[in-house]
Amino acid sequence: MNGQRFRLWDLPTRLFHWLLVMAVVAAVVSGQLGGNLIDWHGRIGLFVVGLLAFRLVWGLLGSTYSRFHQFFPTPASLKAYLRGEWRGEGHNPLAALSVFGLLGLLTVQVASGLFANDDITFTGPLFDLVDKGLSNRLTGLHHWLSNLLIALVALHVAAIAYYGHFRKQQLLKPMITGWKEGEGEAARGGGIVALIVSLAVAVTAVYGTSGAWLPEPPPPPPVATPDW
Amino acid sequence: MKTKLTLALLAVTLTGTVSAQMKPEDAIKFRQSAYTTMGWSMARIKGNVEGTYNKEDVIKAANVIQAIANSGMGALYLPGTDQGTGWEKTRVKPAFFTDKEGVAKVAMAFNKEANEMAKVAATGDAAAAKEQFGKLSATCKGCHDDFKIKN
Repeated sequence: MNGQRFRLWDLPTRLFHWLLVMAVVAAVVSGQLGGNLIDWHGRIGLFVVGLLAFRLVWGLLGSTYSRFHQFFPTPASLKAYLRGEWRGEGHNPLAALSVFGLLGLLTVQVASGLFANDDITFTGPLFDLVDKGLSNRLTGLHHWLSNLLIALVALHVAAIAYYGHFRKQQLLKPMITGWKEGEGEAARGGGIVALIVSLAVAVTAVYGTSGAWLPEPPPPPPVATPDW
Repeated sequence: MKTKLTLALLAVTLTGTVSAQMKPEDAIKFRQSAYTTMGWSMARIKGNVEGTYNKEDVIKAANVIQAIANSGMGALYLPGTDQGTGWEKTRVKPAFFTDKEGVAKVAMAFNKEANEMAKVAATGDAAAAKEQFGKLSATCKGCHDDFKIKN
């Protein structure tokens, strides 16, 4: 490999991406199968909360191409891109729509799951904070959005295949190695402090949504019930 | 005379059939009560397989589910009860009344696992009970996914 290359995706962004891939696959499978896997579905959901919270902060503090500000799509940039006039590195304006779409959808998906119930024995960790009617509606939303999520992921994968095949742009490799072939400005920023802050926010988010802070129900007072 | 008697008997039989026909709102109430009772029993089994295992407790709960599963609850799904209110508005999907094959499939799957749950409970094997509980709740989900309205 003699050609030029530059740093595109920092390690935390790549780790975030691939952990999210695994978590979403595991969540979809465990959610569809149910049974005892539903408990894992809940745990995976909390893990996704942590990933999303991390990415949100990393989008502000991370390195160049991971920052939301760098790739935030505007009508002007989208128009330019569709006319073939956009020049830049990182997420193109159209891909940026997909990034924000997926992050937004996943946020609503985990948020609704926190309050959901399956009318069997499983309830989301924050179920106790809402009444059953609202929980049912959120569960309905959670089910409905899972289809939309699968469709968006399929579109995301199809778009990568399209760019690789017809546009000769290898999008997969930089997301694995972090390097992109060609000329470009190397990603900067996103140091250790940014990483620690992002991780701290992620841990706090997981703690907050796990319901671990909810007051323990008082130990049931000894009551006498008929022994039949 | 004989004809008259036959007619009278027939009339009585017919009336009997008619009066035995339960009210739609009662049918929906019975349905909802049965599911709620199974909910109690499922929570009871879960509490046992995740906490301290009490064999007798699990047997009681599994027997309740088995009994309801074998009670012929299909009789409660009278024509026209795809709409209506028992203790609350019914959440059955209209498809339940048209997709007979699909319903039979999920109902039989549930029946099989409910019977198996009672069998496993009787052995007192906590690990096996936990596994069977998972299989059983997956059949609850099988029906909820296709035939229960999620608001």
